[in-house]
Amino acid sequence: MKVDQTVDAKGLSCPMPVVKAKKAIDSMEPGQVMELLSTDKGSVKDFQSWVKQTNHELIKHEEEDGVYKFYVRKN
Amino acid sequence: MSAKMVTSDQVFKDILAKKDVFILDVRNEEEYNDWKIEGKTVTSLNIPYFDFLDGTEAHLDKLPKDKPILVVCAKEGSSKFVADQLVEAGLDASYLQGGMKEWSQYYYATPVVEEDNFKLYQVNRVSKGCLSYVVVSDGEALVLDPARHVDEYIQLAEKDGAKITHILDSHLHADHISGARDLVEKTGAKYYLMKSEGANYDHEALEDYDEIKFNNVKVEVLAVKTPGHTPGSVSFFINDKYLLSGDTIFVGGLGRPDLGGKVKEWAQDLYNTVFEKIAEIADDVLVLPAHFADIKSEMADNGIVGETLGNIRKNNEIMQTTDKDAFLAEVEKSASSVKPPNFEKIVGINRGELTPSSEEAVELEIGPNRCAVHHTA
Repeated sequence: MKVDQTVDAKGLSCPMPVVKAKKAIDSMEPGQVMELLSTDKGSVKDFQSWVKQTNHELIKHEEEDGVYKFYVRKN
Repeated sequence: MSAKMVTSDQVFKDILAKKDVFILDVRNEEEYNDWKIEGKTVTSLNIPYFDFLDGTEAHLDKLPKDKPILVVCAKEGSSKFVADQLVEAGLDASYLQGGMKEWSQYYYATPVVEEDNFKLYQVNRVSKGCLSYVVVSDGEALVLDPARHVDEYIQLAEKDGAKITHILDSHLHADHISGARDLVEKTGAKYYLMKSEGANYDHEALEDYDEIKFNNVKVEVLAVKTPGHTPGSVSFFINDKYLLSGDTIFVGGLGRPDLGGKVKEWAQDLYNTVFEKIAEIADDVLVLPAHFADIKSEMADNGIVGETLGNIRKNNEIMQTTDKDAFLAEVEKSASSVKPPNFEKIVGINRGELTPSSEEAVELEIGPNRCAVHHTA
């Protein structure tokens, strides 16, 4: 998968992962893919709700060694 | 300008004082629907914090301009983020210190009885609906059903210049982690629990006691085999006036008998408990249970969750259902299938089979007050 922008929010807690993701996606073109890396378990569901609500597409998400990775295509 | 921080204690004291509390809960919808801060004078509104990423404007018409707004989230960060924006927009907003995580660990202690050498405190873990008790007499204290944050009890006893010498669990809990063993370690007190509960650590078997003598306090051990989520629950009758009823009788009903997979057998036991043992206890005895389900209806204006046995009998149809078949049918029917979150792990911990880290313990206990499921309607 081609990633256009990576947002590294590791070590940051709520609300920063979503705040940073929003900032990045605002600067991107429709169809581009953003990767979010976060270690904050608490914001996993928030991030999913936010993606759904803003009509972007959550392509996939996975967890690896405590790092949550989300791939979102901008609408 | 940034928003002020408010503690759980301040919030609960406002609820007790019947002040209007307007809560803007900025967690996601699922978490909000699962559990939230409740009270008679609480109004709450859920708008997730990520809806505030584009500013406050879209939401201002839903928020009061003329009264304080308390913003609440899971751990504090997001509520501060939103509250600061609201203050910028000219509203009177503050945020809850430590968020719902801190709220889940908030305890409120209030005296039920204060006599010269006999004091009885109810300790309310508000978010979980869990009630524990501290009895103080002549420099000694007895703690019943301590929850995990045991310093609450140690400090309460210390304030009365007492040392904790007796610790009791009314049963092996399924909805929260017992603080009993930790408290035993810190105080060296004697720990009592029914042997039939199957705990695999040292304790005095309550089966061997009819009464625990404790200075001026007579604690009668009513070892009722309580139909419920455990095979051996106990109620304690103090000085013939206060019935610390564990999970047997609640202000709003009876303990559920379905968690052991033997609902018919235990419902039968419950019938015998209610119409043989409890029937002999006088109407003016104050019942002090180990849980509440609905703080709005079960907590009195003085902050105490309790009710006279007479009123409980009068207000609960099931307590008047002397026809055995009708009673059994009702109790079996109303046994719900929703179980307390993580209850298998919590039982394992309380039995001494699992040892969680303190972080795991917080996670396991966080969440809704599902004590409601112990009740039959």
